[in-house]
Formats: sequence, C-alpha cells, structure tokens
Amino acid sequence: MKDVALPPLLVEPGPDGLTVAAIQKRGVPLFHVRLSLPAGAACDPRGKAGLAQFTADLLRRGTQRRDAHGVDAMIEGMGAQLSVDVSLDECALGLTVPAELSAAAVDALLEVALLPSFPEAEVTQTRRRALAALQADLDDPGTVAARAAIAVGYGEDHPYGHPASGFRRDVETFTREDAAAFHADRFRKRGALLSVAGRDDPAQLLRFAQDRLSAQGQAWPRAAAKDLPLPGPAAHHAQMRAIVVHKPDATQAQVRIVSPGISRQDPRWAAAVVANTALGGGFTSVLVDAIRVDRGLSYSVSSRLAMGRHAGLSVFSSFTKNETLRELVDLALEKMRAYRGTGPGPDALAKTRTYLAGLFPFGLEAHESIAENVSDCILDGLGLSHLATYRSRIASVSEDAAREAAFALSPGREGAQIVVVGDAEVARKALAGLCPIEIRPLE
Amino acid sequence: MALDPRDFPVEEHHLANGLSIRLLPDRGLPIATLYSFFRVGSRNERPGITGISHLFEHMMFNGSRKYGPKEFDRKLEAAGGSSNAYTSNDLTVYYEDFASEALSLVLDLEADRMASLTIDDTSLSREREVVKEERRFRTDNDLDGMMDEALSALSFLAHPYRWPVVGWMSDLNRITRADCEQYFRTYYAPNNCTVVLAGDFEPARALREIERLYGAIPSGAPLPEVPTGEPPQKGERRAQVQFPAQTKAILAGFRAPAGSHADSLALDLIETALSSGEGARLKRALVYEQELCVDAHAYFGWRIDPGLFDVALKLNPGVELARAEAALWAELARLVAEPLPEADLRRAKNLVKAQLLRGLTTANGRAHTIGQMELMLGSWRAMLDLADRYEAVAATDVQRVAAATFAPHRRNIVTLVPGEQPELDPADLEKVVGDAPGLKGGGP
Repeated sequence: MKDVALPPLLVEPGPDGLTVAAIQKRGVPLFHVRLSLPAGAACDPRGKAGLAQFTADLLRRGTQRRDAHGVDAMIEGMGAQLSVDVSLDECALGLTVPAELSAAAVDALLEVALLPSFPEAEVTQTRRRALAALQADLDDPGTVAARAAIAVGYGEDHPYGHPASGFRRDVETFTREDAAAFHADRFRKRGALLSVAGRDDPAQLLRFAQDRLSAQGQAWPRAAAKDLPLPGPAAHHAQMRAIVVHKPDATQAQVRIVSPGISRQDPRWAAAVVANTALGGGFTSVLVDAIRVDRGLSYSVSSRLAMGRHAGLSVFSSFTKNETLRELVDLALEKMRAYRGTGPGPDALAKTRTYLAGLFPFGLEAHESIAENVSDCILDGLGLSHLATYRSRIASVSEDAAREAAFALSPGREGAQIVVVGDAEVARKALAGLCPIEIRPLE
Repeated sequence: MALDPRDFPVEEHHLANGLSIRLLPDRGLPIATLYSFFRVGSRNERPGITGISHLFEHMMFNGSRKYGPKEFDRKLEAAGGSSNAYTSNDLTVYYEDFASEALSLVLDLEADRMASLTIDDTSLSREREVVKEERRFRTDNDLDGMMDEALSALSFLAHPYRWPVVGWMSDLNRITRADCEQYFRTYYAPNNCTVVLAGDFEPARALREIERLYGAIPSGAPLPEVPTGEPPQKGERRAQVQFPAQTKAILAGFRAPAGSHADSLALDLIETALSSGEGARLKRALVYEQELCVDAHAYFGWRIDPGLFDVALKLNPGVELARAEAALWAELARLVAEPLPEADLRRAKNLVKAQLLRGLTTANGRAHTIGQMELMLGSWRAMLDLADRYEAVAATDVQRVAAATFAPHRRNIVTLVPGEQPELDPADLEKVVGDAPGLKGGGP
C-alpha cells in the first residue's frame, strides 16, 4: 500500500521553544485546538505521585478572570467539553467547537492553561474528590490491575512507575502551593506545542493561532524551569513473580503479564509494532487465537506495547473465571515463549503488515486524532515523516527484524511479572508451583 | 443549523429481496466502513433463550460456506481491515473498517455469512464459554452491570427489555444449536437488514457488487410480533444489590417514550443539561456544591419501544443513601417546577448539536449515524434537520416532558449496599416459613 498523503499542514517551531502546528481539515465545519505541555505524570515530584493530574484537574476550577462556574459556562456554552489528558510525558488540553467559535475556543484554552488561580476552597474540594475517586477505583478490577502493572513493571522508583491519579498517601498531602508550584514549573513554553485543525488553509490557521497567542499568551512564563532527568528503562527482574491483589467475592480474575518494552523513540519501533500485533493485536493474533478462539477461556486477550517517550512496557492482558486461571496463565506463557523463538512466520508477517497499513489512515480522520498524532510525533522528536512514511516503514519490516523484536520484547520472557486481581485464596491455589506469590490487600 | 444535503450525498437503494442499501462516498482518505444493521436484539427473545441475540453476534464470526472457521477475520485483516459488532436491546450491528481496496472482499465476507452461516456444536460450545466470560466481566464482577441488570428486571414486568442483553447465565447454558438455526432463519434475512457503506468508493460500482453478492439471498418470512404490552407503572419500585464495594451507589430509572417519539428530543436535552460537562446541573449540585457523589450521570438512549431514562450516582464515602436520593429528587423536581433557564437550555442545545457534528467527522461515524437514523427514526434524512429540531424545543417542552417522566410513582430505584452477599441459612428459611401464616402444612 502506498504511503498516505497527510492533510495540508504547517509546523513552526518558535524561538522560545513553543511549537505551533496548523492542520487543514476539510469536511464537517468544526475546529479543534490542542495544547500539549511537558507536565505529565513523570514530572510528579518524589512523594507527590498524582500531582500532575491534580494540577490539571484544578485548571478549570477557577482562573484569574472567572470562577469555576464561569469557566464551565465559557467552555460548555460553546457546545464543547474540555478534554484533559495527563499521560506519562505530558498534559494535553483539547477543545472542539463549531468553526465559527474558533477564536473563542483558543482564548478559552489558553486562559485555562495559563491563568489558573487555584482557589483554596477548590483545592480542598478537588483533593477530597480525588481521594473519593481513588477509593471508587478499587471497585473496578481492570483499573486495579492496570495500576498495579505500572508500578510492578517500571518499578516504584521509576518516573513512570506510578499511575497518573497517584496514591492515596500522596494525594492526601497536596496543597495549593504544590499545585501552583507545579504549574509554574511545568506549564512553560519550552517543550509545549499548540496545534489547531480547521477548514482554513494552513498558512491562515497558523497566523490565526499566532495572533491568538499574541493576544492571550503574555502570561506565559518565559523562564525555563530546570529540566528533569530523563527516565531510564523499565525495571528488570531476574525472576518471575506473581503479585495477587485480593478482591473478595470475585468470580473472575484479571491477569496482566508485564516485561520491559521500548520507548516511542526506539529504532526498533516498526518491527516491534509488527511483532507485537502478530502476537496479541487484532482478532487473528497468536494469543487471541489460542486463548479465546480455540479454548473459549476469555472474552478479551491482548498483548500491548505501552510506550512512553523514554521507556515502555510489554503487557499481556486478559481475564478468566476463577476455575481456569492457571490454564490461562500457562497457555499465555507457553504461547509467548514459543513465539519468542519463531516470531511471526511469513504469512502472519504479511497479514500483519497489511492490517496495520490498511487501518493507519483511520487515525488521520477526526480533528482530534490528526492533531494528537501530529503533536506526538513532533514532541517525540520523530518528525512528520513518522506519519508520512508509516506504511512504507511497516511494509519494510523483515522477517528477521520481526523475529528479533519478538524475542527481545515478549511480555512473557524471563523475569516477567504476573499481576492477578481476584480472590487471593483462589489465585494462591491456582498459581502454586509456578513462581513466588505475593498477596497484597486491595488499596 | 440544518446540515447541507449536498455535503451528504447519500444514495438509497433496495434490492428485490428487501435488503436496504445506503451509500455515502467520500474520497478524502483511502478507507471505508461497512455497517450491517439487523433489526433484532434482546427485544426479540423470550425467556429460556435470553442472550441469544448477543451469542449469535459471536457466532457470526465462526465460518460460512465460502469462508470457513477463522477465515472471516483472517481474510479481512490480511486485506487491511478489522471488524467488530455490538448487540443492544433492539439491534445487532456489525461493522468493518478497511482499506478501500478491500471493498469487494468485505462485501463478499458479509454476504456469504448472511447467505450460508455455519452453525455447529463445537463452535457454539466454545462461543458460549466466551460469552459467559463476557457476562462475568460486564455484569457479575462489575457494579454498574449488576445494578443495570437489576434495574431492567425491576422496571419492566412484561416487556422483553426486562432481561439483560447478555442474557441470564442459565439461559446461556441452555441455548441449543437448533435455537440458533431458527434464530438465523428468522432474523438474518436480507429484508431485516440495512447495509450502510461510507468512505472511499465509487457508488455505481459498489452497488453492482452488492447486487451481485446479496441479490440471490432469499427473503425471510415476516418477523414475529414482539410482545410489548407493558402495563402502566402504578407506584415506585425498589431493589437492592448487596456486594463487596467501596462506596454506595444509586441507579434510578424512569419509564420514557420510544426514540421515535417527539418528546425524545426534549429528553436528550434534559440528559445533557443534567450531566454533560462539569457545569451540568446534576454534577454541579451533587458533586461540587453538596459533595454527595464522586460522579453523577444521566442517560437516555433511543429505543424502538418505550424505554428508560436513567440516573446513576456513585456516592462519596460516608454519604447516606437517603441523603443522596433526596438531593437527586430535588434536582429532578426543579426541572418540573420551573422552566430550564435560557442559558442552561442554550448550553444543552449547543452540546447536543456539537456532538452530532463530531459524530460525522469519520467514515465510521457517518455510516453509524445513517444506520441509526434509518433504524430508529425511519430515514437517514432525519439527521439533516435534527439540529433544527433540537433548536425548536422550548423550555416549556422540557418542563412538560420532565413532569411526565420524573413523577415519583414512575421511578424505579436500585441501591448498591456494600457488604458480603448474604448466604441463605436453612435454619433462617425454616424460621421464616414457620412464622408465616398459612404457608406450613396442617390446613385450617
């Protein structure tokens, strides 16, 4: 398949480190603005896990120009909902509005991002809400498993080794000063990217964005904060281990099998994506075929490369009834170990390359997804060619390269960490003899 | 703000066997989406085979005459596509996203399974286990799923909306191959299907392919009538779910009109005014001002027959159920007592219209919207002036519909009480039976 032409777009890096991207999207008369800032969960100070998310949640709870209700009215009155996404590396804010409201949308986004007032009462209430949400999360076995897998996979001291929502013990300590200091430190121009997507041609859109920045962006601190050390690779474990989080009365066990993966900047990226997709992506992968289609052990099975800008994990995910927990774990490990040796054969390789290439343009359709993709590949240092040559790079992955990636990145290799969320007694019996087991309370 | 029909040049076709076809080309990106909407869901089931519509959705991927077991997805993925499906109370819906050059293959795959699906005991046994896992995941180990199932059983006495789409576990164990074959013959005929194709294709060529591949599939018999005689609700109903959980929760359901009823637009706006965005009335009052809930959410989904308007509250730790309930009723009573202020109504209209537009930015979204409009409102054209029809809803309409919907005697309430599930002690049962007059032997 031929490479896909990107929509007309311009990217302009500024002298102060802020990049502006303008993307022309024809069709439905909508406008999208997205601001990515170097303020992700990896920036949480030690002992303050969750501060990036907490600060982001507070942005809309009052600015220097209006209170929280005023912010809600400003944004939602346009028919928009503010998206706030705190990932490992960044905090991204987004708004999509009817095209005629584009100026108001950019102004609103910049006001929320740059001029938060952090009212004391809102800080107190947001902290209570965050704590209540953390407690409510314990009722969702999948969320509990995901949180545990991050900490176990990266290691708790790694900058990526905690969930963005943080830990109860840390969130309890958050103050107004914490949020204000984090904002002053991380919501800066250097490393930030403003992207806009709309019907106008990219030159017009770029001028428009820069005009709005001139009008609204004076408050943006120019001083560059101290850079944080770059995160290293995920934790390496010499021995397989199972961590069981006890959830009473569960009739089904959530399972994650985690090993170190790669970053989005890794030169093996294309081979790794192909090898992982053949293992556990799509509906005809090795793992889905063995676990769901052939044995009916689970409804959902996948292997995934969870990639940050500087490190990543390889994660197997599934769930099954208590009675078949051991069967599922044994089968997953058996298939993943065998695949390490073989990688995808020629047929599976060809199928996977075409599968990925065929579906790639779906990520360029919606305003939000093209803006996010453009933003990510620029901030990751990969450039627009990462998108423009996607199909040809995937098509060029050789059998040898895929096999090497399969060998190096299987979630089930030596030292894999198994996370189970379910009834502890059931899991202890099921996993007996497989590896050391550690039982943890639900918290 | 009606949509311009020139931006949506939908072609409408019908084959002699009853298949409905909608085509919407867009040559922007080399991709397309094909949807197949079957007008069958849990509404068309009966006790004893509940869940068969959803189980059948799984069975549709297990092979047909030309493409054997596992071939559907293998062929599709090898051509640059992916598939998925969902089942609701009213519909079973299949779709494929794919590179546009795979169009002929995708149509062949879909037409072949409509013409000649293979149903065997081996694949049924396997898929039954997968669906039971899905039920354990979405219902038996999920608080929202547990409460939703309890609410449906509480709210409907006679209508098939009473049972869960995924089906009761005992029925999933009971469904036979003969049940599946009968279901396929009855509901998977072309006269019960609408196919919608959106994206990068040439319409005349696509239509010729569809005629060639689907044209010889015979029509089915007229569909069996659905027993829809739900009696009027004569008072509040309550149920309790007891399960180990961190916090209490409330799910309230109010009987509401069908999606095609004119008042459904006012209910969409009420849903939005109550819970879309952080400034929504329910969130502002219960989450921010009174701090009773972690989350407050309203939901009204269009259904073929009269359905439910739901409100779900996840309580903050330490908050009593009665206090949260009282606050919820007070918020709903406000909608009845006074017209929605102009700013709130404007906000709700803008949010609903923007959501409609956002749904049309992708090939998948366009195809899905066209199919939904066809199946629920009778024509895809309903989407063209939908925004105008929302605009025409007045504050007095909202007040009237709120009064008709949120009357206390129409509400059904499920509460989640954290705690171990009670185990039945035979001695306690003996005591209850022994104490009840006229229940133990002996006669008068």
